[in-house]
Amino acid sequence: MKNIYKPIEATIEDIIDETPNIKTFVLKPREPFEFKTGQFIELTLPGIGEAPFTPSSDPNVKEKIDVTIMNVGRVTSLLHNVSKNTLVGIRGPYGKGYPTDEFAGKEILIVGGGVGLAPLRSLLLSLFAQIDQYKKVVLRYGARTPSDILYKELIPQWSKKKKVNVVTTVDVGEKSWKGHVGLVTTILEDLPIKLNNAVSIVCGPPIMMKFVTLKLLDLGFKPENIYLSMEKNMSCGLGKCGHCRLGKFYVCKDGPVFSYEQLQDVRDIWD
Amino acid sequence: MNNNYYIDSKQLGIFLNRLNDNFRVFVPAVKEEEGSKEPDYFYKNLSDNQDLVFNPYRSVEPLKSFFTSPQERISTYFTAKSIIETPAKTVIFGLKNCDLVGHKIQDFVFLEGVEKDTLYRLKRENTIFISGDCTDFKEVCHCLAWNIMPYPKEGFDINISPLNDGFLLEVGSEKGWQLIQQFKEYFILAKEAQIATRRLKRESLVERLKNHLDPQNLVPKDKVQEIVKSGYDADTWQQFMLTCVECGGCNLICDTCHCFLIDDVKEKNQNAKVRVWDSCLYANYARVAGGANPLKLRKQRLRNRFMKKFDFFVENLGMPACCGCGRCIEVCPGKIDIREVLKDLAKKAGSKQ
Ligand SMILES: Cc1cc2nc3c(=O)[nH]c(=O)nc-3n(C[C@H](O)[C@H](O)[C@H](O)COP(=O)(O)OP(=O)(O)OC[C@H]3O[C@@H](n4cnc5c(N)ncnc54)[C@H](O)[C@@H]3O)c2cc1C
Ligand code: SF4
Ligand code: SF4
Ligand code: FES
Repeated sequence: MKNIYKPIEATIEDIIDETPNIKTFVLKPREPFEFKTGQFIELTLPGIGEAPFTPSSDPNVKEKIDVTIMNVGRVTSLLHNVSKNTLVGIRGPYGKGYPTDEFAGKEILIVGGGVGLAPLRSLLLSLFAQIDQYKKVVLRYGARTPSDILYKELIPQWSKKKKVNVVTTVDVGEKSWKGHVGLVTTILEDLPIKLNNAVSIVCGPPIMMKFVTLKLLDLGFKPENIYLSMEKNMSCGLGKCGHCRLGKFYVCKDGPVFSYEQLQDVRDIWD
Repeated sequence: MNNNYYIDSKQLGIFLNRLNDNFRVFVPAVKEEEGSKEPDYFYKNLSDNQDLVFNPYRSVEPLKSFFTSPQERISTYFTAKSIIETPAKTVIFGLKNCDLVGHKIQDFVFLEGVEKDTLYRLKRENTIFISGDCTDFKEVCHCLAWNIMPYPKEGFDINISPLNDGFLLEVGSEKGWQLIQQFKEYFILAKEAQIATRRLKRESLVERLKNHLDPQNLVPKDKVQEIVKSGYDADTWQQFMLTCVECGGCNLICDTCHCFLIDDVKEKNQNAKVRVWDSCLYANYARVAGGANPLKLRKQRLRNRFMKKFDFFVENLGMPACCGCGRCIEVCPGKIDIREVLKDLAKKAGSKQ
């Protein structure tokens, strides 16, 4: 009989330092485990606790799952201290994920902030895998400082790809930084896209999502073409524990990705 | 088909005692508090040859406490052992219609949606509901305001209604029918006159309850969603939260509240997940990493409770998550009365236009 709360076993095969407080954990599940890009998992540190994370790897790669995790509290700080080969648990995948089918033939603007690039990496990789289906992929990414930038080696490779355009910015620069300085909203001017055939996908801290959404609306994006990854306190991931309610939705089961059109009438969505 | 039977009081006691051989049978026991106007009823395991108590109104415990617990193991992991075992067969005697209606919310949460909760489903399948008509009500009872009758119409396996020296029994499900078949010797097919008497008794209680509720001017079911929505910015929340001490009692005692947290614990040779009832009045209910908290203020949390009950559930299930049992009113040390909160919102919504 299936127990929906029981995690399956996975070993941590590798741990990659991304920034001073973000690491990517490469997990190898001991049972088949598939997810769609944008869906999330509950990751259990055995006997200690669990927390929701969105895989940052290509969903087409079946045998391994990457999760990129920022050290912010109890479970994540303990996770940051484990070594390779540690046994962890995973439940899921949960939620609806990105509606990539609807993006066919479109120009796709992806706006990320901080660790919000993690789920977006999974999206980017699955878009790249079928790049002929899309007109163009435009990535705009902001981090606090140059050392907080995620996937430092990957981003330059992505920007060299055909049909792909990337700009990165930091809130606070430093001597060696040659790129943009300023909030991510400052690199949303003069976007190389045609609005009438574009969708946008935003993931980052709530305050960043708020201002990016306002900016995108200002630029002329329609609410139904803005997709947001909402973050709420979660426990079950299954629409049962009640914690992630957002208006008439549960973020875990009806999201975590919503179009702004769905959320327009919900009060206090950025809190 | 006549689904109604008559059984005399003594025989009903014997019937339940016979059930005790194969089931865990829970029956109400009365507890009279010194100085309290209304006796309270708590569930107890039926002991041998105990006199049966018919509770005139609902028990203190919510029905949900038979299916989920304040704290329970819901999974072990990294071990071959499973904790999903077939739960003991159980009979609960003395449920009221508010219990049955409120329980639809729990069923919706745990039996529907993306996945079913197996533990809950097994307990549900192994439990028999023997409900009963209300023959009295508590001061806080307000089922009728939500169009919920003080006698069950559905959702029971067997329902009983006191009648002279015995009870009229109505069969509500296959499970109930099988029980009656198994113990045929105790039951007599009911007569039309007995069924008519039951109707009269029910009508008379509804009348009394109406007289109790009408002067209260309660918010009606078909307006409540609109009222809480238009009262989102009302100062009602601020005003009523002043006496809230964040004990969570209102949520924990409520038959429709279902929120929980999952925690992990280390045991000797294994790890386990533990499910703990949670309360949206607790300060950390909605806190996320880094300390951000969309329900930082107590008034936001009080409002959340009402939005969940009267907007979210009306939107998703077509019914409010309140059965009018009044348990939250009795339990609240801050004397926060759900009826008064709604009335205040209605008043403010009305004066706004
Ligand atoms: C759908 C989803 C996907 C996410 N993906 C990522 C990701 O890819 N990478 C990443 O670094 N972070 C991600 N997060 C945030 C991550 O879940 C939190 O950082 C983590 O729960 C913090 O746990 P903690 O015990 O270290 O923090 P603490 O601050 O010590 O504890 C936070 C408490 O709140 C609970 N909680 C429940 N939901 C959340 C939440 N959303 N945020 C914070 N706390 C929560 C935790 O279980 C814990 O009890 C995601 C969150 C959600 C909802
Ligand atoms: S029972 Fe009353 S005091 Fe306790 S949390 Fe609920 S509203 Fe607050
Ligand atoms: S909100 Fe109060 S009156 Fe309504 S079902 Fe819950 S405990 Fe009963
Ligand atoms: S995380 Fe439990 S309901 Fe969404």
